[in-house]
Amino acid sequence: MDFLNPVINGFAVVLEPTNLLYCLVGVVIGMLIGVLPGLGPAATIAILLPLTYNVEPVTAIIMLAGIFYGAQYGGTITSVLLRLPGEASSVVTVFDGYQMARQGKAGTALGLASIGSFVGGTASIIGLTFLAPIVASFALDFGAPEYSALALLGILLVATISSGAKTKALIAAALGLLLATVGRDVFTGESRFTFGSLELADGIDFVPIAMGIFGLGEILYNLEERHRAAKAPSKVANVWPSRSDLKQAAGSIGRGSILGFFLGILPGGGATISSMASYAMEKKRAKQPERFGKGAPEGVAGPETANNAAATSSFIPLLTLGIPANATMALMFGALLIQGVTPGPQLVEENPDLFWGVVNSMYIGNILLLIMSLPLVGLFVKILRVRAAILAPVTALITLLGAYTINNSMFDVTLVVVFGVIGYLMKKFGFEPGPLVLAFVLGSLLESSLRRSLLVFGGDPTGFFGRPISATLLAVFVLVAVLPGIRSLLAKRRAAAVAEPGTVQIKEKV
Amino acid sequence: MTHFPSRRSILGAASAVALLALTACGNVAGGGADSSKYPSGPVNLTVGQAPGGSTDLIARAISEGASKTLGAPMPVVNKPGANGALASKEVAGKPADGQNLVLLNASLITITPLAVTADEAVNIDDFDVIAGLSQDDYVLIASDKSGFKTIKDVTGAGRNITFGTTGVGTGSQLAQTVLFKQANVKGTDVPFDSGKPALTAVLGNQVELATIQLGEAMPQIKAGKVAPLLVFSEERNSFLPDTPTAKESGYDVPVAQYRAVAAPKGTPQEVKDKLVAAFQETFKADAYKAFNEQNLLTPKEISGEEVVTQWKEYAAKYKALVEKYSISLSGTK
Repeated sequence: MDFLNPVINGFAVVLEPTNLLYCLVGVVIGMLIGVLPGLGPAATIAILLPLTYNVEPVTAIIMLAGIFYGAQYGGTITSVLLRLPGEASSVVTVFDGYQMARQGKAGTALGLASIGSFVGGTASIIGLTFLAPIVASFALDFGAPEYSALALLGILLVATISSGAKTKALIAAALGLLLATVGRDVFTGESRFTFGSLELADGIDFVPIAMGIFGLGEILYNLEERHRAAKAPSKVANVWPSRSDLKQAAGSIGRGSILGFFLGILPGGGATISSMASYAMEKKRAKQPERFGKGAPEGVAGPETANNAAATSSFIPLLTLGIPANATMALMFGALLIQGVTPGPQLVEENPDLFWGVVNSMYIGNILLLIMSLPLVGLFVKILRVRAAILAPVTALITLLGAYTINNSMFDVTLVVVFGVIGYLMKKFGFEPGPLVLAFVLGSLLESSLRRSLLVFGGDPTGFFGRPISATLLAVFVLVAVLPGIRSLLAKRRAAAVAEPGTVQIKEKV
Repeated sequence: MTHFPSRRSILGAASAVALLALTACGNVAGGGADSSKYPSGPVNLTVGQAPGGSTDLIARAISEGASKTLGAPMPVVNKPGANGALASKEVAGKPADGQNLVLLNASLITITPLAVTADEAVNIDDFDVIAGLSQDDYVLIASDKSGFKTIKDVTGAGRNITFGTTGVGTGSQLAQTVLFKQANVKGTDVPFDSGKPALTAVLGNQVELATIQLGEAMPQIKAGKVAPLLVFSEERNSFLPDTPTAKESGYDVPVAQYRAVAAPKGTPQEVKDKLVAAFQETFKADAYKAFNEQNLLTPKEISGEEVVTQWKEYAAKYKALVEKYSISLSGTK
């Protein structure tokens, strides 16, 4: 059982008082921003990134991870009580959660969501615990060719799975790729788009981009929205679901765990898509689908389980391969880089304390959330009354101050402002900032890995197919690229033959 | 991991002090410096590399010692960018009152100008070099699968060999390209971002050779996972006594990373004397000696004048070498 030793050591790391404290701080902040509509985990992590600079890497990531999965819990509360989804991943919870609350079953809805979140989150961590070392055991086989194939697959998935309009996602991704080319060419030393500025010689740093687009951009955008005053929430009683409710929801919690786990791993996937997919799946499976939207417990339990499972499992590609699966993970990537830790296959072996410390902190964090979420409901609802006019300037100031402290550079502050405006405009015109940021990260990885591989192969592109891992990844790439085409072709034929809506249509609704 | 918290918290305190210091310095410059009262506040030591790297660690080690003798704090300010050119140019433009120092890497002066345009390069004449610090050696390592155990195996292989470098315009790239030309071996230069990924590529047999800094390679050399073929220093490295130098093997390519502390040009002699004395005191301290030992650094505590002469000699030598073998470090032929 040698493999379990580092896992147990990881628990020792989490149980250090500092780490426990930061885990608690992380999940509380997470729940808090989960409650506040508009401010999502990505924005919060972007704003708090510089604060983690002076703490140990493990501690920093434990806190940031806590923010991410904590937000999945918090988002539920307002969805159920106020019909106000605090988080994009809790939008579908509104349908049945609020109906349940109106029927006086608010407590049951919240209880089911908490239990589901806990089960989903924990199942995902167990998956992570066993899957990560397997991926990491291939660490040294992961060279430039494998990274090129992986980055290519990542960019394709980001473009195809993203939730918004496809064309706009592609435009944003293209802008991200373009931004990734700024700076001195690593292979020739030639300056690209630096306009003679030494500040740009190393390219644009990821952190100011993320802080600008997610942090400042969100703050500016939210200022435009007139927030509805918080209504009096429904009474919360009886958080322990009855046996029949539990029985009804057990299946959806199980399915949500598995669905969320796998959708979370996929690049471009994540909490939001998983919750929507889970809702669609539950509705489709149900014997009486008409109950959905009228307070079906499965409609709360399934999505809430899936979004937590996905939030956790999206750490797998980041921590084992160094590939961020979604925008929040891209920020984690930035946080690790600031700490001088390069996420990748070597992480498990070189930094077992960090890796297992973070993974195991999620077990603890989930327990903390389960204990805290219900007693704190009343408090969180009060927080909704803080006016944006107070919240926005304070957060903007923290963002700009933070940007300065990372490199002691005024130039970075300017960058944050510029990208803040870009982020604001993108939101305003319906462009998702996620693809831009992910393409930026994956783009530079793709360029350097591809050129490095070609150097090693002596310019022969068939070399990619001579290595088992890169060949497999490229095969998957081709599959993902052509699959939608084939599926729609098949669907058209079937529709012509049977004239009955197939599975494809339901997928599209998702 | 255990030493991390202290360094991190020092870092935090240091950056806070640095902020204060920056504002304080504005006043000093305005009033005209009185060198007899030096230091009149914190002395900033700017580093052009990110925290945690070897250059940063060296800066922290010397600032700890020197601040005691000077009687003023010496916060380390990290300002990474363009291989350190950004930080160097910034300090060169500061008032020459000794309140702002920079830690210079020799490669920035001797090698980088061969790869970048003239206005991006840093000129050592813009500085008063205070003291030389230490020497960090490059070692040529071979992957397990390559089967290379000595440099003879490489020169006798009679085929194209892939070699990893730590980036364009680095000592690692210069040392290997010149070596390959002198040994008449064909090779493909594969640049990585820094030493670590280059080492990983050798461990994973993605490239056959790489030249990286000894401190990074040592754990894998000791574990027997990579074979050390050569060191590029003029003399054998005391931490790796069995590995021959390039010179012994018949190749004229002396490359190492040297580091020195410098102040803006025109710093008063009195101030420079005080700084030199403070650094000399640091060099004698056991803690600093142990630091060098631990990080496999060879002390090269020479005077500022010697640093300038030696670095200029190296710069001229490298320029002549790349011209002789018509090597282009930037790959744009």
